[in-house]
Amino acid sequence: MAYVAIKGGRAAIDGAAEAVEFMRAGSTGKEAPLQLDAIEQQLRLLVSRVISEGGLYHPRLASLAIKQFQGDTLEAAFALRAYRSTKPRLLETPPQDTSRMRCIRRISSAFKDIPGGQMLGPTYDYALRLMRLELADETPEHFRAISRRFLAATPEAQLPATFPKVLDALRAEGLLPPVAESREAAFDITREALTFPVPRSAALATLARAETGSLLGIAYSNMRGYGDIHPTVAELRVGYLPVMLPHPVTGETMEAGEVLITECEVVAMYEGNAADGPPTFTLGYGACLGHNETKAISMAILDRALQKGMKDGAANPSEDPEFVLLHVDGVDSMGFCSHYKMPHYVTFQSDMDRLRTTQKKSKERV
Amino acid sequence: MNIARTDWARALGALPAEEIRAAAAQFARSLEVQDISLPQAGLGLLTLTDSAFHQPFYLGEVLVARAHVVLRTADGAEASGGAVILDDSKQLVRAMAILDAVLAAHLPGWESAATLLQRGHAVHAEMAAQRQHLLARTRVDFSILGLDEEEEEDDE
Repeated sequence: MAYVAIKGGRAAIDGAAEAVEFMRAGSTGKEAPLQLDAIEQQLRLLVSRVISEGGLYHPRLASLAIKQFQGDTLEAAFALRAYRSTKPRLLETPPQDTSRMRCIRRISSAFKDIPGGQMLGPTYDYALRLMRLELADETPEHFRAISRRFLAATPEAQLPATFPKVLDALRAEGLLPPVAESREAAFDITREALTFPVPRSAALATLARAETGSLLGIAYSNMRGYGDIHPTVAELRVGYLPVMLPHPVTGETMEAGEVLITECEVVAMYEGNAADGPPTFTLGYGACLGHNETKAISMAILDRALQKGMKDGAANPSEDPEFVLLHVDGVDSMGFCSHYKMPHYVTFQSDMDRLRTTQKKSKERV
Repeated sequence: MNIARTDWARALGALPAEEIRAAAAQFARSLEVQDISLPQAGLGLLTLTDSAFHQPFYLGEVLVARAHVVLRTADGAEASGGAVILDDSKQLVRAMAILDAVLAAHLPGWESAATLLQRGHAVHAEMAAQRQHLLARTRVDFSILGLDEEEEEDDE
């Protein structure tokens, strides 16, 4: 592809920057600017999406990016990645164990009774998708009333903050493949390019910061029939994972903070034969920063699909690591798409010249 | 004070940053503070163990700051303090490292730092109680339609 350097347009480009700010402020200038606290709290799922697609856990900065880019999740995630690229890498955390997650939601569609119980937490799963018109005129007093009402009802049960994994129970029954201790270092997608075949850790990292819609679209193709994963959600949990790091003086593991994450394990079609040992269920795993259940489930399905593709060869697009992993990143794909808006005067001039020549030759033949 | 040192940063982190910085500055006026390593702020790669196959992978990145200081009193006593937090403020993590040293060695005036710690701990306890409430209010006991004795009787 040929590009050409252009010049001029400085005043228009400056004007465009002001125009976009004008659109944000509104023509009357009477609207109150969005406060970051309000975005972080009231648009928490949007913030979660930007955090996970940006690959940086910072709800405050994600809120700022959402404000700056007027709700465009792709641009907001891009801004978050640009921000992180200005920071030095200080450390890698030791592997964090998600069984320590302080859950706010935990469900299973495999069993109605799971060790520790199921907690629906904050979810729209059982809500009617009807517009609540009263929300159009809310006041701070409404918010205070919601909080008072929710906290006033005192439940009898005292529950722990952490819960055992459903998979552990299935594994104890011999229904899952055994776990082999992995000594392989995890693949760092922020510093190494994907060269296929890639280890599973590269696939998981890529899927974890992928664009939600892209993941869902490819996972959906598998669900609808371009694949045969047939997943059952063994466990889906949302909660705060304490990040444990060594204390600079004592070396003892201390809690440096916590991050909200969503995690999903799916159990899929069993496989195996007598030669390999008894058949067991296959597994898929999904996790992402923030609260994003659609993404975590889609990722778990694709993890399983990719394992199958890597083992047996890809029978459909969702099992093809190269197809999936190179097309799910929102910042990459948005960048490529957006570049078509930039001047392509030379390439298009060349296309026109060729077309005119071809048309001329075509007429001459007739 | 019955809060483990490994939980101090978490407790202090629940309070407004200005308050932590002000408290540390107060101690720094009467103590000599030496940075063992300069406070740093940057990125931490968050490693997760996937719970399906127990393989490590990187979930994403977090902002991390860490500091390590030594405090010296006028009479020559020394105390080491450190902190590592999910934040990008060098000033805040250094302030936490100072408070860590004060609390660990019970340096003069440590009681005021302990009060801060208790307040931060209380904020966390309140948050934990709200999460507990969230779980308890939404605990679900599904039963399979048709297996309930009453339903079977009704069917008959």
